[in-house]
Amino acid sequence: MRPVFAFLLLALLCACQLNTANNVNAETEDDFDNDFAEFDDDFVEASYDTETAENADSSRRAGADSADWETLEVPKKRTVDIDEEEDGIVENDDEFEHFQDEEEFEGYDAGDSMEPPIDQKSEPKLKIPNIPLHLRTHWDSYWMEMLMVAGLMAYFANFFAGKAKNARLAQLWFSTHKALLDENFALVGDDGKVENENPGLIKESESLYTLWCSGRTCCEGMLVELKMIKRQDLVSLVAGLMRPQLDQVHIKIDLTRGLMDSFVFAVGSKKTITKVFKEYTDLTKFCSLVAKPEDRYNVPSGFGVLSEIPEATSAILESRVITALNKYQSYIDYLHISDQFSGPVPQEENSTLKQPETRPVLLAGFNLPKHAEMETIKPLLLLIFYLMERLKTYRMSKEAKAKADKNRLRVEEEFLKSTHAARAEAAAQRREDKRKQEKERVLAEEDPEKQRRWEAKEQKRQAKKNAPKMKRLAVKSL
Amino acid sequence: MSFTVDPRRKEKIVRYKAPKNQGQSGGVNEDMMPDYMNILGMIFSMCGLMMKLKWCAWFALYCSCISFSSSRASDDAKQVLSSFMLSVSAVVMSYLQNPAAMTPPWAS
Repeated sequence: MRPVFAFLLLALLCACQLNTANNVNAETEDDFDNDFAEFDDDFVEASYDTETAENADSSRRAGADSADWETLEVPKKRTVDIDEEEDGIVENDDEFEHFQDEEEFEGYDAGDSMEPPIDQKSEPKLKIPNIPLHLRTHWDSYWMEMLMVAGLMAYFANFFAGKAKNARLAQLWFSTHKALLDENFALVGDDGKVENENPGLIKESESLYTLWCSGRTCCEGMLVELKMIKRQDLVSLVAGLMRPQLDQVHIKIDLTRGLMDSFVFAVGSKKTITKVFKEYTDLTKFCSLVAKPEDRYNVPSGFGVLSEIPEATSAILESRVITALNKYQSYIDYLHISDQFSGPVPQEENSTLKQPETRPVLLAGFNLPKHAEMETIKPLLLLIFYLMERLKTYRMSKEAKAKADKNRLRVEEEFLKSTHAARAEAAAQRREDKRKQEKERVLAEEDPEKQRRWEAKEQKRQAKKNAPKMKRLAVKSL
Repeated sequence: MSFTVDPRRKEKIVRYKAPKNQGQSGGVNEDMMPDYMNILGMIFSMCGLMMKLKWCAWFALYCSCISFSSSRASDDAKQVLSSFMLSVSAVVMSYLQNPAAMTPPWAS
């Protein structure tokens, strides 16, 4: 009987070892997903050792003389499997203390020579750190995250620095020009509130400051927009490396109606002129690009001129203005004078049926000096005031006036023609709406006689509408 | 270019009126950057949350930063704040779900 028993034990050992190997594989795979994997493992190991003592005893009882140390492992593995299935047991950390406690095992194997190999074999397994994957990963692997956080920090550092620099530049411009503005306007700096709480620059965004001035002859008001480079935005700064930008000041003056004669004119750097030529309605409709403006009007090279009435253009571009253009060529972006300004060209065709309202304006765009020497561009504001006075005094000849009037009439006719279909449609729609309202009103009334009369009238109208159009001939009865 | 007569007229003072179409798609010079970044940030946040793409969540955070820095003073602060919260939550959620380090999109 004894050899058969030993053989059975061996077979069981093989089966269990296979099984355990599978379990170990499964566990290592599970560790990726299972957050509690470490608890399972600890649980297994704990149960293993508590059981070992009993198994050692039982195997001794079964006749350990014929089995080598491997046979001792058989029951160990089996208990591992059994214990894994018991989910409800809660283990404390205290249970592991007996691993260090040597007295724990002395009762059963003090003189057993088989015990040390078991300890040696199982100890490395016990020391495998069963930490979840995310705790095991080294901080070095988070280099992308660190890069991202560093980027964010750099972005915010640049945000505060850029914001402060823009504010400083804007304030510098204002302090430089304040005396001149105070001399020319009764109101300098307005925030639009009932009580002017903040007389000075208004911050529209971190890179855009505005200043409203009013109370002057010739004009209703002047809006100064300081459009800075977006220093607060690191991405824009990097984009600026590819396409350099400049700090700019845009001046928009609403002229008093009837102050200037009717003409449209613009001068500026060629790049800007070609851009605004497409963008603004008045320039698109009234002006044409002057060929060779250097010869014709003596403007500096690199400048373009858009002119409607040549006489007015040459009157504006007189010697003093030309001198200023030459002197401040790098600072002047554009000058735009128009009595028909209606803003940018509408995006959608035929979106409006009414001709846009026009008003006389004087627009100017200047580049701010690179090294914040605001004094150098102070005369440009004087040029603007000079142009205003010039517009007030300048009067065109009769022929030029007639031409300008003709141009305005032509533009108006073009507009009416282009919107004719849309306007007819709108009128038909209006008529239809009116009829519907009338019908509802009649139907709401209680009087059936009135309803009948209205229906008859409506029927007659429909019949008339649908009838073929022909001339009515009166046939005289003989 | 100096004027002898004082050009100032107190009776001609016109108070400042903010342009009506400010902040909306109106003027040519209107800066659309904050709006674009807001939308882009929202798309990235959604991708980060739904598809568990960590780099998307980070990009969303950057987009909301750009949107914040270039937003106008008159713009609704709530919009910027909500875009920020969305992108931050996308980052937090993606790391709560999977605390492993980010792999760049070209590596996976």
